[in-house]
This record gives sequence, structure tokens and C-alpha cells, in this order.
Amino acid sequence: MNTAENYVVPSATFTEKPDGYELKVMLPGIGKGDADLHIEGKTLTLKTHATHQAPAGFRQVASEFCMSNYAMSADLPEMADPSTLTAKLENGILAIVVGKRPETQAKKIEIA
Amino acid sequence: MNTMINMDPWGLLDAMLGVSEACKRVKARAAGRFPPVNVFLDDNAAILDLELPGKTAKDIDLTLEAQAVVIADRPALDENGKPGTPAWRRRLELPFRVDADKANAKFTNGILRIELPKAEAAGVHRIAIAG
Repeated sequence: MNTAENYVVPSATFTEKPDGYELKVMLPGIGKGDADLHIEGKTLTLKTHATHQAPAGFRQVASEFCMSNYAMSADLPEMADPSTLTAKLENGILAIVVGKRPETQAKKIEIA
Repeated sequence: MNTMINMDPWGLLDAMLGVSEACKRVKARAAGRFPPVNVFLDDNAAILDLELPGKTAKDIDLTLEAQAVVIADRPALDENGKPGTPAWRRRLELPFRVDADKANAKFTNGILRIELPKAEAAGVHRIAIAG
């Protein structure tokens, strides 16, 4: 994964299932409409353009996390079928699900 | 003579990459033991932001003490219908007493914001000395 300048690479988990893949990206503070997701060929690109704002008129006395914009790009696995990709952003987590190409999935062979 | 040099390799790397002091605290979040918090103050209130992606109000217990707030994970019920052990719990002390009636909390996009107004001063009372 690589990142654009002045952005933070978000934490993410990647899971492979028998029929597809799931990528969960942590985007706390980011809502629908604040993130742009593109796919070109097998390359997935994510960039956010809004952040959770600090309260106006308050001084910050403790800071344990950054309120930042996120950016990342990643190539889908060879067996992924980009035409099946779906994405859902809820409660600060972006869940991206993509299926495997049918010809790459395991098939049971009957023994005559 | 052997000389021990105390080095912080991560600090050197962070300095080279220009990582800000605030962003270094991402390591606390990465440890995964408890959610990180940002604290903001003005003369009348405290505001706490906790980073809790994927969580909603039903997943968190929030308790207010006179001068502290306790935030804890609310685990699912087990097969006997009893609550499990919370995965984490944070107690944050405040520099003033809180007006509990005016305190509120809200989840927005995985960040829990807790607003804690300062309680009004009790005033000054003269105490008569017996004897």
C-alpha cells in the first residue's frame, strides 16, 4: 500500500474467504460523502476529504489520536473479480467486498 | 570499556519522517488495549473524543462520577444471559466537578464525543465557630 502526501494510511484488515475477499478499513470520523473510492483495473484507491473537527473555542490538553485525512491504494489479488466489488461505510468502518472470478473458485469433481 | 547507548529507534525514525508528536500516539491505538481519547477544555466544560470505529451506543457503558467519567466496553451476553467481562475500561479524572444533568454523549462516524459541562460553584459559606 502507498499513500498520498500529507495523508495518513488507515489501519485495515484483509480476509480471504472461499468465494471472495473482504477489506475493512478503519476511517473514524469519516462519513458517507467524505470518502472517494476508485478502481482502475485491479488498483483500488481511497482518499478522504473531510475530518472530524475539534470543538471550536476549546484548547486541546490531551491528544492520543490524529484527526486526519486518509489515503491508500492497493492492488486486488489476481483471482479477484473487480466487477463484483461493493463498498459500505458505516460507523467509521469501510467494508469492501469483492468476489473471486468464477473460474478460479474450487469445484467438486464427481468420481465416476 | 563498553558504553551502553540508550537509543529510541522509533523516535529516530519518527524524527526522520517528520511525524508529529500527536500522531506518535497512534501507537497507543495500535496496541489495541483501549480506545484513544482526545481531551479539550475551556472555562465552562470538557469535551472528550474517543476513537471507536465500528461501535455504537449499545456497545459502550458510560458512567459519570462527581469529577470523573468512566467509559467501558459493554460485552454481549453469554449463553446464560449474563454479561461478559468488559474488554477495556478507562476512567478519566477531570479538573472540575461535572453537572450531570447537562452532560451528553453522541456517536458520529465511529467517534464518541462526550460533553461535560462544569458544575456551578457551590458558593462561599461562612461557618460559625462554636465555643
